[in-house]
Amino acid sequence: MKALAMAGLLLALLCLPAAAFASGTLHYPARDGEASPADALIVHGALDPPYVRPLLEAFHARHPDIALTYRNLDTLTLYRRFLSRPGEADLLMSSAMPWQYRLANDGHARPLDSAAAEAWPGWARWRRELFAFTFEPVVMVMRRELIERFGRPDSHADLLALLERHGDALRGRVVTYDPERSGAGYSYAIEEARRSPRYWDLVAAFGEAEAALAATTGEMLEGLAEGEYWLGYNLLGSYAQGAVASNPALSMVIPDDYALVTRRLAMIPREAPHPSHARRFLDFLIGEAGQRLIATRTPLGAVHPDLDGPGTAAAMRAAHGEALRPIALGPGLLATLDDLKRQALLARWRREYSRGGEAP
Amino acid sequence: MIRRDSLYRRLLTWLLLPLLALGGLMVLQAWLDARRTADRAHDRLLEAATLAIAEQVQWQDDRLWLDLPPAALEMLATDAEERVFYALFDARGRFVTGNAALPPAPEGPAAGDALRYADLEHRGLDLRLGVRGARLEDWRRGERFEVRVAHTREGRERLAAELLRANLAYILGMAALAAALLVLAIRAALAPLTRLRRAIRARDPRTLAPLELPLPRELAELREALNELLARMRRVRANQERFIGDASHQLRTPLAGLTARAELALRQEDPDRWREALETIHAGGTRISRLAVQLLSLTRLNNPEYHPEFARLDLNALARETVRLHWAGCHRDGVDLGVETPATSPAIQGLDWQLEEALGNLIDNARRYGARRITVRVRTEPTILEVEDDGPGIPAERRLLMLRPFHRGSDDPDGSGLGLAIVDGIARTHGARLFLEDAADGRGLRIGLHFPGVGR
Repeated sequence: MKALAMAGLLLALLCLPAAAFASGTLHYPARDGEASPADALIVHGALDPPYVRPLLEAFHARHPDIALTYRNLDTLTLYRRFLSRPGEADLLMSSAMPWQYRLANDGHARPLDSAAAEAWPGWARWRRELFAFTFEPVVMVMRRELIERFGRPDSHADLLALLERHGDALRGRVVTYDPERSGAGYSYAIEEARRSPRYWDLVAAFGEAEAALAATTGEMLEGLAEGEYWLGYNLLGSYAQGAVASNPALSMVIPDDYALVTRRLAMIPREAPHPSHARRFLDFLIGEAGQRLIATRTPLGAVHPDLDGPGTAAAMRAAHGEALRPIALGPGLLATLDDLKRQALLARWRREYSRGGEAP
Repeated sequence: MIRRDSLYRRLLTWLLLPLLALGGLMVLQAWLDARRTADRAHDRLLEAATLAIAEQVQWQDDRLWLDLPPAALEMLATDAEERVFYALFDARGRFVTGNAALPPAPEGPAAGDALRYADLEHRGLDLRLGVRGARLEDWRRGERFEVRVAHTREGRERLAAELLRANLAYILGMAALAAALLVLAIRAALAPLTRLRRAIRARDPRTLAPLELPLPRELAELREALNELLARMRRVRANQERFIGDASHQLRTPLAGLTARAELALRQEDPDRWREALETIHAGGTRISRLAVQLLSLTRLNNPEYHPEFARLDLNALARETVRLHWAGCHRDGVDLGVETPATSPAIQGLDWQLEEALGNLIDNARRYGARRITVRVRTEPTILEVEDDGPGIPAERRLLMLRPFHRGSDDPDGSGLGLAIVDGIARTHGARLFLEDAADGRGLRIGLHFPGVGR
């Protein structure tokens, strides 16, 4: 999936160019240099280095004897690489929920039996095999110009009304995911289509406004920052947060009727070469210390039920309450991966998109 | 420590063991039931999911098409978070879509659109498979297809365990109740036994009165047996007391006679009288000592603990020897004593002196009752040793009385009344039966010992 890889690259460019250029791999050698291969831990993640680095550093500080290697892969590469070499990584972290779920459903995951796993809330895990350790809403990002001219759309209904009323003025100024090229965009589309039949009206309105279709959040953020687009729909909130903070022209809106919440899932493969280290890392990741790091040092959103305050799921829930709709961690995700389902949805999407205007 | 055998333990063991086996069976049954119920409940999920999927199957772009409803998969997973698999196959068994190429279910008796179930192992997971065969509801095409769904068994196992737990509590409760009732019932049933034991223990050891207490039938039988034993002991004791009384009476009378004779003689001065008295006293003394000897041997014969050492005896020789001993005395009194023996002599185990004494007693008796002709006879098959006389005989109704000690057929002062009793004792010691019957010619008496078998 070149698109996702490019997305990672673009995003890295945007956020922390130096680190991203250095390597897609982070390595922390064991303290005494010559560590035995048994004292290694290999993590494959679809989580960019700036976000994962604080976690890795903290873990390495706690366990300096473990040589820690982190490979940043895009979600599909991560999935395929695992299937071809299931004994390579000790831990998989990915935001592609359906793919992670499919691996666990097929019995590729090793259960974690620890106190932290026991305490982990039921809505954020599947069996003891998949653990959701972040809480990332899907948001809208808009430029100041749009708000000044048309007011701030706070919900999907507002957005639809805005597009229907001022479609001509916004022609080419709206950007959203291309569900054909982006896995994330596809899974949001399938979730939204499930939630509301009016989603298709929105797609039609996008078509009418000749909305641009992007493959990644980074691409959309770039266009928004440059002023090419005025409104981006369905951006990954955690990535958008940094861009919005550094650019006063941009503002982020979590829709108040409903906002999807995606969560990164971690699992230990059954054939992990260093399962005990992997357990230790996952325990750390869902433990209070790791989660506090996620809350304070990253925009990913901590899930731990004991944590409160900025950067936690609890705080987000308090602010947006009913509107947050975490994508359910259940067998419904398997339907997302069904080939016919995908073809049917994309066909419908194309049809609706070209209903009003012309196909892009 | 080895506990002694007890009725209580026996009853408890033989009632509790079957109860335990029964309980085990019930638990097994409950387990099977729980599994069946859980399977039935969860098979409904498979049924609903296949139906939901089958409804979405269409004909589109010249092929089977499925717009998979996520809810159909979600309904397959309960709180137990089962793993879920689904697949759509066309009429020719080709895989159309799904997340696992699930195998077909074995052809069941119910064909057509009915749901078929199977347990299978897929990639190391234990799965329950549900397969629905269906047909497209289309105007032009009636294409057949098959929806296969499967999920892991955690939910079924959890439900089965829950059901079993509830049932198990019930079964265990019943078992505890049954065991408690059993213990109480056995205690109650065995209580009369304790009462009987106490009643026996509380008795005066000298009394032989029958036990009087109400008991259940089985123990009442025991009580009756005990009472019969006591009654026999009472009779034996009465016999013994009478014997002692008779014996002392028998000894006292001649002793009193001797004393009176001696006193009479002392009042006289004539030495001839003295001599006469001394002779009388001597004769009395001889009789008394003979009586004492007879009492002694009767006491010994009546002792149930008396088991003499038997030797092999030739009855012919014994009969001839006894006749030889008594022949002179009989001849002097003009009594014709004879012996009849068979050609081959029967041999028995016995004591020669006892049998000789028995024969001697019988010969004496016959003489004393006025027989003129006495025959000692040995017979074979059956082995019999008998004495026949031509005396007055004894009427049949009085024959048994004759066996009682100190009972006499006449008022002969020389008879002690112990003769026949002693013969009877000797017969019993030899395991023989004493019989009294009329002599062969209808006159006189025949008394004999009937030996049970020849030799040993």
